[in-house]
Amino acid sequence: MTKILVIEDDNAISELICMNLGAAGYETIPIMDGLAAEALLQDGKNKEIALALVDVMLPGKDGFALMEDLQREGIPVIYLTAKDDVLSKVHGLKAGAEDYIVKPFEVLELLVRMEKVLKRTGRSRQKIQIRDVMIDLKEHSVSKDGVKVSLKPLEYELLVTLAGSKNVAFTREELLNRIWGCDYMGETRTVDVHIGQLRKKLDFYDVIRTISKTGYRLEDLE
Amino acid sequence: MKLWVKLALMTALILLLSMGFFGVEMIYRSILYNQEKTIESCEQQLQSTAYAIGRELENGLREEYSETTKRSYINYVVKKYGASQYILIEDAQEVCNLTPFTLKNPGDERWNQTQCSSVIQRRGEQYILISGKAVPAMGDADYKLVLVQDISKLYQDMREQAFLSILVFLGAVAVCVVLVFLVTRKILRPLRELQHAARDISDGKLERRANVSGRDEISLMAADFNKMADRIEEQVTELSKVSEQRRQMLGSLTHEMKTPMTSIIGYSDTLLHVNLKKEQQERALLHIKEECSRLERLSSKLMSLIGLYENDSICMEWVSMQQLFEQVARLEEHSLKQKGIRLECSCHMEDRQIDRDLFESLLVNLIDNGAKASEAGKTICLTGEGNVITVRDQGCGIPREEIERVTEAFYMVDKTRSRKAGGCGLGLSLCSMIAQLHHASLAIESEIGKGTKVSIIFPQG
Repeated sequence: MTKILVIEDDNAISELICMNLGAAGYETIPIMDGLAAEALLQDGKNKEIALALVDVMLPGKDGFALMEDLQREGIPVIYLTAKDDVLSKVHGLKAGAEDYIVKPFEVLELLVRMEKVLKRTGRSRQKIQIRDVMIDLKEHSVSKDGVKVSLKPLEYELLVTLAGSKNVAFTREELLNRIWGCDYMGETRTVDVHIGQLRKKLDFYDVIRTISKTGYRLEDLE
Repeated sequence: MKLWVKLALMTALILLLSMGFFGVEMIYRSILYNQEKTIESCEQQLQSTAYAIGRELENGLREEYSETTKRSYINYVVKKYGASQYILIEDAQEVCNLTPFTLKNPGDERWNQTQCSSVIQRRGEQYILISGKAVPAMGDADYKLVLVQDISKLYQDMREQAFLSILVFLGAVAVCVVLVFLVTRKILRPLRELQHAARDISDGKLERRANVSGRDEISLMAADFNKMADRIEEQVTELSKVSEQRRQMLGSLTHEMKTPMTSIIGYSDTLLHVNLKKEQQERALLHIKEECSRLERLSSKLMSLIGLYENDSICMEWVSMQQLFEQVARLEEHSLKQKGIRLECSCHMEDRQIDRDLFESLLVNLIDNGAKASEAGKTICLTGEGNVITVRDQGCGIPREEIERVTEAFYMVDKTRSRKAGGCGLGLSLCSMIAQLHHASLAIESEIGKGTKVSIIFPQG
């Protein structure tokens, strides 16, 4: 499972991030202050950390100062902070951060941005397992109980999007934008049709849930 | 109109008027004087000539002379003494006239006297002095001698003189005006400097001062002006300091509000969109509740801070400090017992005029701060002695470099821990505001690991 380092001093926000990442299928390591983060990074046992979400204002050692330690370990950084002035953003991005997200943020936005960074740095997941269905992202193939299931390209994209941020609800518009592209003129009905196909082909009637007034969510809690 | 123009014009006007009257009077007098002198000299001449002619005629004129001989003799005599200025009249008849003039009225009564009688006649451009008298002692014959002299030259001279004096007078006025102009400009130069200084200051260069030396009225005014500028600069600096503090406070406030907002928005968003386990959902709701109550605490502290800024709700009364301490101890009893912290009170203070509620909250705040820093089993001392109240704890202490900043709004020495303890960074700034309202000051001494001592020091007397 992909490990994410969460360096955030506010207990509530740290737990919020961990809760969401956990539901979306990531493993999280919460750290509450700068010095603890520095100590953890010097252990040398953290090669599997795929990404760090870092607050800027931290007790002990601030987020900008931690950048050096994180880069030495080759961990990509996304700043997650309340400092929304341009100067801080420029400073953060110039120092080598992959992204800069200003609080308050939306869960889906955070997940999507993380996914993009992971993809860019070649750390995205190779395989996603949902119950008895295995998605091989490298080979673009899907199998259920070891038996290959043939999906149309758009159906595959839809499945990967939903499974990439499992347990998180997408609206039909978001799905349209991400899979069909924002200039697609079709109706949201198109999404419903493809969801129906996925449910039928993978027997996901109780896995892909329709959320009233919102959209769809792929549910898989361990 | 500029002041120097006004002064120069005024001087010119006054000079013109005064010197004008004076000059006209002078010229008029000198004309009269010259005229008199001329008449006098003419009359003297006439007198002597008349006498001489009289004697000559008395001696030389014979009865037996024929009319023609008599006439030529008289002619000869008049020519001999009087050149071409005289007319001799006998019985109102001109007997000898050597002048180019003719008398209009040869029998004028005025000339019958032995005294000279003169008159000045104007003929076109010419002024003619006619003066006549009787020729003395000539038997029964009645001779009168008349002197006719053209005195136009005198008038012309006088006219030229008057013209010249007007020129001199105008020149003098012009010189005076220029002088006044230059002098006023010089005198008013400091005023211009003052004006420039005032303009610079109003343009925002508050450090500008008028550079004027001397002891005249303008310099005194400049000194006062500079004093005023000092005061204004002082106040503007103070104001901008206050507004800078407010700005910082607002900045920290938005940041302080953003953190609970982030949690609340994030958790509610999560609850709406993310499939969570039952216990996770409960945790999320708990967090939302906690963050909301944090916001609530923040807003109520802020309200009291704003209330203190407006400071019209303060009610000073004589309060027994002993009773106040007991009241505070009662208020704190429960929460301190839970944490296992002891409170020791001792009061040796006289009654003071304070706002009971505000002071209570000041002491409660300080004791709460001490309790937050202390572990179980420690003691907090609340002591009142003379004009100083001290709250001493045996907690973790404040780093030396942070002591100065702890009374700033939203400043927290250890953010993570004080958040956990429910703080929002306003307590001490509230305390120092309350102390200020009582004209007292807050002094903080601290040593890491040993504890903190906060003293409220009332002014002496």
